[in-house]
Amino acid sequence: MSEDGPVDLGEPDDLEGGPSYCTYTDYDHGVAVEELPATGADADGPEAAVFEELQGVEDPEMPISVVDLGLIYGVTVADGRATVTMTLTYTGCPARDYLQEDVRQAAARADGVEAAEVELVWSPEWNLEMVTDAGKADLREFGVSV
Amino acid sequence: MTLEGPGDLDDRERAAVEAELRCLGDDEFVTAERYTEWQVRGPTLESDIAVANIAQDELGHARLWYDLLEGFGHDQVDLIWERDPAEFRHATLVERPYEAGDWADPVLRGYLYDTYERLRVEALSESAYAPIADRVEKALGEEEYHREHAHNWLERLCEDAEGRRRVQAALDRLFPHALTLFAPTDREEAVVDTGVRPVPLSELRREWRNVVTPFLGSLGLEVPVADHAELLPAARGRDGDHTDAWESLYNEFTFTYEQLGRESAPALMPEPGEADADV
Repeated sequence: MSEDGPVDLGEPDDLEGGPSYCTYTDYDHGVAVEELPATGADADGPEAAVFEELQGVEDPEMPISVVDLGLIYGVTVADGRATVTMTLTYTGCPARDYLQEDVRQAAARADGVEAAEVELVWSPEWNLEMVTDAGKADLREFGVSV
Repeated sequence: MTLEGPGDLDDRERAAVEAELRCLGDDEFVTAERYTEWQVRGPTLESDIAVANIAQDELGHARLWYDLLEGFGHDQVDLIWERDPAEFRHATLVERPYEAGDWADPVLRGYLYDTYERLRVEALSESAYAPIADRVEKALGEEEYHREHAHNWLERLCEDAEGRRRVQAALDRLFPHALTLFAPTDREEAVVDTGVRPVPLSELRREWRNVVTPFLGSLGLEVPVADHAELLPAARGRDGDHTDAWESLYNEFTFTYEQLGRESAPALMPEPGEADADV
């Protein structure tokens, strides 16, 4: 193999100035998707009751409701059966089953609902624009800069 | 035409979707299984964390694709824990054992694999099967820093002759196995002409070689130039024929399941959608 090496590798930038900070301390805010997340602002009847219950479900790692975090994409109730469409911030989320079950149980508790199911979706991709203003305030209070 | 879900598929389309999902899911799952071997053995704590995090991402992506197979009536037990090892469809690249103590191996392997994964998953953004296309953006969004991690390390390793020698040895060893990423399953024709993945693997392989050859060349490495047919190893993975390393890896990740005499994958809570409203 060649011992000549590449012509120009550039200067290693971190060696003399000491360590540099991780590149990933900045959050990418992403694109705002119209009508998402679903917050229940215009809902009424059993659907409004489901949103009210979902407000009480918090992310396992941060004191923020799943509604304000922007994970809820839709709620429908038909014949006493609620369907909650939701996403997760991360595909490798270790709390997936836990969170989905919390959401399902909360929806099933709502007035006018007899049974509930959760449908997990990945599109549109969740991003920070999905966090509501109330959610951003919660995150700031918790110490997350958004 | 868009195929919205399992109910819209005829037998040929369903077989094509399943074949594509098995390649995607199995590659990710087995890649993550191998990465776990490096999680406490990287050259720095930062590297351990990076590898652990990349493995977690790949497990998340395996779950994305396996979830869709569950839509066809499969479950975690038959997809992973009790699947005949000869029914796995991952490429041989991801099952090969690491060269002991050689950090250049996971770095180079990660580069070859993640470059391939980006191309294949991007091709799926046009998939006729909507549940696949819907997952592409999320998966791609979590992949970018994998390639950045591999690029950074390859550049660093290739700065001196000893590091470059190690990367070259890994390249010589792994390049033929990387080509099995593009080996067709027996459903390749149906996958392409049903639009499940509109871009054939042969085209993805051409694009991949056009990316990896100049980049690795710029680091002073000699990249094999022969035609893939000459370079490919005997076992291709995609047809269920695996290298000798596969059996021991399979036995290792199913060991606990076997030891506990499991017949199912117990959940702490009922699966959403399966449970009654028991509150």
